[in-house]
Amino acid sequence: MGPDRFVMGVFNSEDRTAAAIKALRKSPFTVERVNSPIPSHTISAALELKKSRVGYFTLAGGIFGFFAGFALALFTAMRWELIVSGKPIAALIPFFIVGFEFVILFAVFGNIIGFIVQTGLPNFKGLERYDPRCSGEHFGILASCRPDEQDSLRHFFHENGGEVVDVHE
Amino acid sequence: MSELTFAKIDQTVIDTLRPPGRIYWLTVAALFGGVLIGAACWIYQIFTGIGVGGQNNPVAWGTYLINFVFWVGIAHSGTLISAILHLLRAGWRNPIARAAETMTVFAVCTAGLFPFIHLGRVWVVHYMLPIPNQRTLWPNFQSPLMFDVVAISTYLTVSSLFWYTGMLPDLAAIRDRASGLRKTIFTYLSLGWTGEHEQWRHYTRIYLFFAALATPLVISVHSVVSWDFALGIVPGWHTTIFAPYFVAGAIHSGLAMVITLMIPLRKIFNYEQIITIRVLENVAKTIIFTGLIVGYAYGTEFFIAWYSHNPVEVAIFKWRVTGDYSVQFWIMVICNTIVPLAFFVKKVRTNLVSLMLISILVNIGMWFERFVIIITSVGRDFIPHAWGHYMPTAIEFGIMLGSFCLFFFLFLLFVKHLPSVSMTEMKELMNHGGDHGA
Repeated sequence: MGPDRFVMGVFNSEDRTAAAIKALRKSPFTVERVNSPIPSHTISAALELKKSRVGYFTLAGGIFGFFAGFALALFTAMRWELIVSGKPIAALIPFFIVGFEFVILFAVFGNIIGFIVQTGLPNFKGLERYDPRCSGEHFGILASCRPDEQDSLRHFFHENGGEVVDVHE
Repeated sequence: MSELTFAKIDQTVIDTLRPPGRIYWLTVAALFGGVLIGAACWIYQIFTGIGVGGQNNPVAWGTYLINFVFWVGIAHSGTLISAILHLLRAGWRNPIARAAETMTVFAVCTAGLFPFIHLGRVWVVHYMLPIPNQRTLWPNFQSPLMFDVVAISTYLTVSSLFWYTGMLPDLAAIRDRASGLRKTIFTYLSLGWTGEHEQWRHYTRIYLFFAALATPLVISVHSVVSWDFALGIVPGWHTTIFAPYFVAGAIHSGLAMVITLMIPLRKIFNYEQIITIRVLENVAKTIIFTGLIVGYAYGTEFFIAWYSHNPVEVAIFKWRVTGDYSVQFWIMVICNTIVPLAFFVKKVRTNLVSLMLISILVNIGMWFERFVIIITSVGRDFIPHAWGHYMPTAIEFGIMLGSFCLFFFLFLLFVKHLPSVSMTEMKELMNHGGDHGA
């Protein structure tokens, strides 16, 4: 029988949340999600989260941007091969500046694309099993369990300092 | 600091979004009136011709370019505060980061209008875009003016994305405390943000990358703006010090604008516990630093002119000090380098009146710095019979008024409709026991 009950424990401190996560990970229950008003290294450590891979998107964007910028400048120069003031038509130094600006621009695009791909935003379904207090001063842990374990999960949250417990089908 | 809690931070910021009173709307209306005056002047110029401005041979670059450089400069401190100080882990930047970032976005928008205005024939603006066309003409990417198009548009895009991404958790916090139409709007604006651990994992990473990318960008943008001048062989412009000189000047003026905006903001919105005197004091200390760099750059320019033994360079710098625009020159020197030294005195940099006064003087000084650089160099270059003077016309003053009104109009709309202090960054600071100066 698969887990079909979701119980949310709401905590008022980062440390209690992290302690509850550690205890949950040792229990038969599953941590589905942790909501917090701030980014927390303590919670990340408790969840043993790996470093985000969004940087690969940023790097790819930056590399693409450099070649795109440089190629654009080179292409436009080659369309009109008129020597002005004895300057070379394919002038590397000024084209490098365009390349540099494009590095930043496309790295940022890569950054945003990476963020969207990795987080799945925009996603309004996450609001369904969500406690609005978690954007204020509380931390929420959504854990799943079998229907017959629901009461023991509620009890677990109470024992670990969870202030309020919400149950979602 | 001890009196602040997560709830109090939320409440203080959300209180600023309450329906505004009559004074607010009257101010907004007055500023909008100023914007309309500027727009009317621009429309008149479009129909009549660029000659309605004071630009003419030999001074072909007037207030439009002065204001362009001024507003790009104002934008820079926003990125300094949001990106560079974030990388340096300076906790005191958290209370003012959002407002400074917003200032960046609106200042770049305002600056971006001036090349369009200066073009005269604005309908041919698409000539600057590298798109296939029947003329078989392409933009010349060897020109610093084209560097500018690329740099400024990149800067506007990056700052806007940085600003919006940084605001996501706060938009969600407002959504969770709103009802009705406001809740619907903020639900869509926050993109369904829930502060889930997976979201934070990626968010903190992209925020760091944003800061790391915005830092070289901000330096490159004003360097590129300086090359609009430095790559010309005009005396007074053709010097290698221009890039660092412009970057320091830009941050100097931007920090002054931050103080000018933050003092009324903290008073009107009861932000005294968040934007503390010590935060403003730290901005003032940074102004001393940038002011000293700017002063050093002024001195270096004169030294280079003297040391070069180039008679044209020597003449132009002597003329700046004693010639027709010497009043503007001395306003620049006094306001930008001497007045900020008053911040060495603790009483001055912790007093709101003196902070406000000095920040306004620095803004005035930095506007005149751009005036002195642009006008004096082309007014007297190599050929004495082609020397000339420049005086802005009423149309130029109207457009300048419009630009200032547009900036403050946008800022005023922002502070009543979106969170002007980053709640998340303030909570983060509190959580880490950081000192933001209370």
